[in-house]
Amino acid sequence: MAVPVSQAWTVATYVLKQKLMGRKKYPLVLMLEPLFRCNLACAGCGKIQYPAHILKAELSPEECFRAVEECGTPMVAIPGGEPLLHPQMPEIVAGLVARKKYVYMCTNALLLKEKLHLFKPSKYLSFSVHVDGQREHHDFSVCREGGYDIAMEGVRVAVEAGFRVTTNTTLFDGADPNSVRAHFDELMVAGVESMMVSPGYTYDKAPDQKHFLGRARSKKLFRSILSNRKKTWRFNASPIFMEFLMGKKDLTCTPWGMPTFSIFGWQKPCYLLQDGYADSFKELMETVQWSNYGTESGNPQCANCMVHSGYEASGVNYTFSSLKGLLQTAKGIFFSKYEDEGAMKLLNEWKPTSHGPLVQIGSPVAKSATELQEVSGD
Amino acid sequence: MATETQESAKLTQLAHENPDEIEVAAGREREQLEGWIPALATEAEIREALEKAFDYRGDITITKKDGLQVVGYLFDRRRGDSLADSFVRVIPSNEKTRVNIAYSEIAALAFSGRDTAAGKTFEAWVKKYWDKKAAGERNIQIEPEKLD
Ligand code: SF4
Repeated sequence: MAVPVSQAWTVATYVLKQKLMGRKKYPLVLMLEPLFRCNLACAGCGKIQYPAHILKAELSPEECFRAVEECGTPMVAIPGGEPLLHPQMPEIVAGLVARKKYVYMCTNALLLKEKLHLFKPSKYLSFSVHVDGQREHHDFSVCREGGYDIAMEGVRVAVEAGFRVTTNTTLFDGADPNSVRAHFDELMVAGVESMMVSPGYTYDKAPDQKHFLGRARSKKLFRSILSNRKKTWRFNASPIFMEFLMGKKDLTCTPWGMPTFSIFGWQKPCYLLQDGYADSFKELMETVQWSNYGTESGNPQCANCMVHSGYEASGVNYTFSSLKGLLQTAKGIFFSKYEDEGAMKLLNEWKPTSHGPLVQIGSPVAKSATELQEVSGD
Repeated sequence: MATETQESAKLTQLAHENPDEIEVAAGREREQLEGWIPALATEAEIREALEKAFDYRGDITITKKDGLQVVGYLFDRRRGDSLADSFVRVIPSNEKTRVNIAYSEIAALAFSGRDTAAGKTFEAWVKKYWDKKAAGERNIQIEPEKLD
């Protein structure tokens, strides 16, 4: 099991309650963005491109708590910006934990070791450390040599201190599936609870507008990464969402599934697109023309999207919509290694593409992957 | 929300390909808007310019018909049927408030602040990385900009 039983139980009862109440549109995770400033300047990130007075602004703990209570989700993710730059982040996290919310504080971990003493280990708190691949890939992706070593040191220290630590890996065009699999081995050996993986997306505000995966290539990439799974790997994602990434399941977007609240208000319609802001969660739900979003809507802005903020909630909803959904999810959790000869062939024959600059920085560290396999016993 | 001009690469791609068959997704055209002072002569020009201002990643300057100027980040716009019931929402650069301004109150608009997204492409980083590497540098990185 990749999350504690109490968390799985809380989420399951929350979803079933929404269904019993007949609510068709309900959120699953609040994406709380208390600030936009960051101590990295990744070329692929559109979240940090703002004038200085906006980057200096931040939500107060009270504003964060009000947003959490307004939308009522059992889980709160805190992306940003870099949350650890917020001077009141320990207070915000403690307040959310006191409200029994399962908190995923997303961090690049540059400050994790230094600030760890400001937090208390809890089943409600998990540090979700952003690591985009093996050392060279991560360093290149975050535009900082040495970034990987600092992030992994943060992981190690937090794991040793008894915190729940998960990871978050975003894959862009040029990602190498063999290297990603070796990266999973490394993370598991480092003792992380579970891993999340998602394709990058050509959202409008991203400064890099060329290195995005189309849906066809995303599915091929994820099929080769996530098939023939090692028994040591643990993922922090719904099995149905992962089957969607692998091209084994069709899902339609749930844009309201992970609503985003920031200094601007409630972002319309989703975490990735910025089509204005609502002043309350109720206004968000009532004023967005939801049928205009999702790949199936024909909206060009959604055309190649497969990201977790739109489709993870769809996977969870699929699970709880029928007995078939429950059984498929249980199979995905407990039994499926997703053996797939075709995927193995893809993996063995994978050729770096000319689209991604990442391929220039070296091939996967196959030797260390083999070593790690020995360590992890696969 | 991007304008049609900005979305043209994606629209062209989607006219020929099914989203599920696309290998590499088209991006969007990035316009050079810094320093631009749109004409605002017609209703269509006003709406288009404010849409681009909403998309812009720097501060803008709005001069109202009563002569007052507002400098700040335009974080939202609400499009109504007429210019009088459409308005932009701005966070001024020197105050912690939000200001609403009706489209019909706007006399002039200038993309006055620096475009904070300009030049920050992945290509630019790749080039910088390899240039520095070739020069023998170590610990190569992009530093976040100073905020003071
Ligand atoms: S498909 Fe859904 S999650 Fe993706 S950009 Fe569109 S609305 Fe947002």
